Amino acid sequence: MTAQLVLKNGVVFDPANGIDGEVMDICVSDGKIVEKVSGKAKVIDLKHCAVMPGGVDPHSHILGSKLGIARLISPESNRHHPYPATRNTRSGVAGIIPSSFATGYLYSAMGYTTVIEPALPAVKALGAWEEIDDIPGLDIGLLPMFGNSMITYRYIQDDDISGLAAYIAWTMKKVGGMGVKVVNPGGTYAWAYGGNVCGLQDPVPQWDVTPRKIMTSLAEAVAALGLPHPLHLHPNNLGRPGNVETTMQQLDALKRAKIKGKDRRAVHLAHMSFDCLGVVEDGMAKWKDVASGGLTFAEYYNKNKHFTVDLGQITFGASMTMTGDGPFQYSLYLMSGGKAKWSNIPVDVELPGGAGIVPFTFEPKSPANSVQWAGPLEFALSVKDVWRLVMSTDHPNGGPFLKYPLVISWLMSRKQRDIWLEMVHKNARERSTLPEIEREYTLNEIAITTRAAPAKILGLEKTKGHLGVGADADITVYGFNPEKTELAKRPDLILKYFTQAKLTFKGGQQISKKGIVGKQIPSRVLSVHPELNDDLSARIDMELEEMMDKWFSHSFSNYPVPMRYRQHLEIPKVIDSTAIRA
Amino acid sequence: MTESTETFKDVPCTFCGCLCDDIDVQVEEGRIVKITNGCAISKERFLGHMENRCPWPSVKGEKVSLQEAIERVVEIIASSKRLLIYGLSSTENDAQREAYKLAELAHAVVDNTTSVCHGPTILGAQESGKAGASLAEVRHRSDLVLYWGANPAAAHPRHIPRYVRQPGEYIQDPKEERKIWLVDIRATTTSRMVDRFIRIEPGTDLDVLLTLRALIRGHTLDASEVGCVSISELEEMATAMKSAKYGVLFFGLGLTQTRGRHRNVDAAIRLIQDLNAYTKWTMMPMRGHYNVSGAHKTSTWVTGYPYAVDFARGYPRFQPGEYTAVDMLARGEADALLNIASDPVAHFPRAAVAHLMRIPVINIDPKINMTSTAAEVNIPAAIAGIECDGAATRMDGLPLYLKKIVEPPEGVIPDRDILRMIHDSLQKVMKK
Repeated sequence: MTAQLVLKNGVVFDPANGIDGEVMDICVSDGKIVEKVSGKAKVIDLKHCAVMPGGVDPHSHILGSKLGIARLISPESNRHHPYPATRNTRSGVAGIIPSSFATGYLYSAMGYTTVIEPALPAVKALGAWEEIDDIPGLDIGLLPMFGNSMITYRYIQDDDISGLAAYIAWTMKKVGGMGVKVVNPGGTYAWAYGGNVCGLQDPVPQWDVTPRKIMTSLAEAVAALGLPHPLHLHPNNLGRPGNVETTMQQLDALKRAKIKGKDRRAVHLAHMSFDCLGVVEDGMAKWKDVASGGLTFAEYYNKNKHFTVDLGQITFGASMTMTGDGPFQYSLYLMSGGKAKWSNIPVDVELPGGAGIVPFTFEPKSPANSVQWAGPLEFALSVKDVWRLVMSTDHPNGGPFLKYPLVISWLMSRKQRDIWLEMVHKNARERSTLPEIEREYTLNEIAITTRAAPAKILGLEKTKGHLGVGADADITVYGFNPEKTELAKRPDLILKYFTQAKLTFKGGQQISKKGIVGKQIPSRVLSVHPELNDDLSARIDMELEEMMDKWFSHSFSNYPVPMRYRQHLEIPKVIDSTAIRA
Repeated sequence: MTESTETFKDVPCTFCGCLCDDIDVQVEEGRIVKITNGCAISKERFLGHMENRCPWPSVKGEKVSLQEAIERVVEIIASSKRLLIYGLSSTENDAQREAYKLAELAHAVVDNTTSVCHGPTILGAQESGKAGASLAEVRHRSDLVLYWGANPAAAHPRHIPRYVRQPGEYIQDPKEERKIWLVDIRATTTSRMVDRFIRIEPGTDLDVLLTLRALIRGHTLDASEVGCVSISELEEMATAMKSAKYGVLFFGLGLTQTRGRHRNVDAAIRLIQDLNAYTKWTMMPMRGHYNVSGAHKTSTWVTGYPYAVDFARGYPRFQPGEYTAVDMLARGEADALLNIASDPVAHFPRAAVAHLMRIPVINIDPKINMTSTAAEVNIPAAIAGIECDGAATRMDGLPLYLKKIVEPPEGVIPDRDILRMIHDSLQKVMKK
């Protein structure tokens, strides 16, 4: 390991520090970016190649039981994508749902260094930690799901935000979570008996709670705890034409939640592509009437600042839909005429009804899919503030993360969009404003939406997403000179350069060169441990033991993930939540 | 209580796929003396853990040191062209992960016992998906529980008493509000415990499942009986299944390993999927070995595939029927076998065992089993969940941490450490 390193003559894009394409040297010492190095340092002349912080992905399903089931039911997804072992790296498969080692390597090859797994059933966290041991080269965060848990509902029913916050804090410490995820609040729970919810005020079976109450209570609990990342929301009505209206209603409800704290955002809306579908004028909420909701939602986004968004861009070709939204997944199965391989994974008390998995192919010639593709691009190209926006594909739902270079090419190049608009069904042209949009993302905007913005949204902005002094030395060097390469005119070059980073450094160590991973380093897990005051802590221990003993099918003492699986991976951030009253 | 008495609470039992984790184990002077809450099998598992142990490493029956045994193992592997690594379901996840690493290095085939139990379940799921269940959800919500080709009273003794005949949050009186049915080809201990026993003709599972599907979809059939069950009874069953509030199908090897195999499972999956148009139904395989679910889970995340994985080309490929252990052996393809925590000689068909007897076999197991007698190299291992820790997966996918209760016999180490030693020694030999 080179403890000290100087990257000379890179053209640096570091928007968090206001650097937009300046030729600079970057100094690295002991895994951190420093002002300057003293004494012996390895020097690499980058010869005016583009340099960005390591990529940060806030929403990518890369591990856990849903991935396991998806791989298990679809060996054909990976059959033609072998990933051979080398002297320094393990083998695997690299299709749309890569195996664990390949997942780490493929992200490294693309220049990504931080990835958040956004749907962890907390009770199954032990399996997630074991799997992370086999996903090298990344900093990983886990978002446990709380939106359909019987324990959550008990506290919300009792109007007990302290209890709810304490349950979240307890879980995050016991299993190593980083934030709070909500999936179809109330709807997945209703799926335990084959039902769903669609309106904010719909009753949830067996409990005196509503989707509105669940979302706002959780957002308030997250704010009370002071978690760095706001509530991470997969809304109700996902994947339904016209749902842009209900998504905006849900965001409005959260705007009115009691969120304390300056500059605190209430919510991060995940994969807007699935949440913001419009319908044509006088149309019904049917797929034949689907239109892009991208512009409508961009107008809402430009007016309202209390939330952030990731795209979940639809790409064409094979994908694997997997969500903690059981009823949505069943509706996809029905859309296939009952032909698709539909899987469902209920999770005891925390996600009765459960997650679902359905392999899906987005067809360019499909009228609906073409509109689904146009919507998020229309949105991304119509927003004013890109600091609240993140590029993603909701891997592997909208398509695998391997398609990020393609998404970047659509954002950066009108020429590329015109090529694709010609290839896809005419509805993409007729039911969106995409053909008229001239905007092209600059490299600086790409650096924001793939690095600086997600780091900030996740609360990791001190160490991730920038190249200033004190940042982790997670650095991506791309193989082009931005001063001499007109990427917008050469979308083929965007694909080439962003698919294989010239160099990827993780914590100051060079792990990949020209897309080949030459060094395997263990991943780390970034978690948040909220400290409660003694009274609340004692209360939650007692109440959870009672509820978990009654409701779970295994012993309370076996719920936490033992340190033996965590201590070599976990970087816990302790936050002070002692102000929450018992 | 003396100072040397210690009680371990909430210990998972590492026998069957129920992985009951409410066992209290009392240890006196380093010996397990009493367990509470466990079934009869669990008692035997804990109290009898020192019985019938493989006493020391041996090569061709001669006692050797662990190091010497490893050297011989590495010689066998290095000179083999088509190594088969098999077993892995009665050990913990870390051992499995080491086995895949070794398989990759040796360009071997690695298969787990899934291939001879619920392999067809996975193939069925590859055809049609899988509407899974969880055991807590079953206890809280199910009002109709259907066992098919399974005999939990004998094989999973606490499955019914711990998970099914218990009150749940929304089923207060499990005897009144929850019905248990069994479909099987003969009367069993389980058939005497259930509310309704439907005996079908052997080999007609597929016919009966397809008939139920047709009836549930509202078709009328031109037959008076199917599989020795009258159409009127099947119609009545179909109606009851459609009107259940939450149904669950637990199925065993009676469905997966009889005529039709993965076609049976496929039909069962489609039946459950059809039922979801009317009400809520889920399903779960009755996994046998305590960590066979873990074996296919770890195999899937590391290699992409659940079992039958070949590394001959330096990357994983999946082909059940070709890279499955029984087929590799019966075809005479494997030229060495590394067996971990299973007993193929006791369970495999004759043709497979006949070939196994002709090739060098390495057997890693805590106990003496039939395969030990055929093995050139025997290496004793610590018992996971008693003598070393680890993680395992319950039949519904719940991961659980296994505890170390007592020290293993002197000189005996966990499977994962033995496999790591083999890997590291082989790597050195291959570099030469």
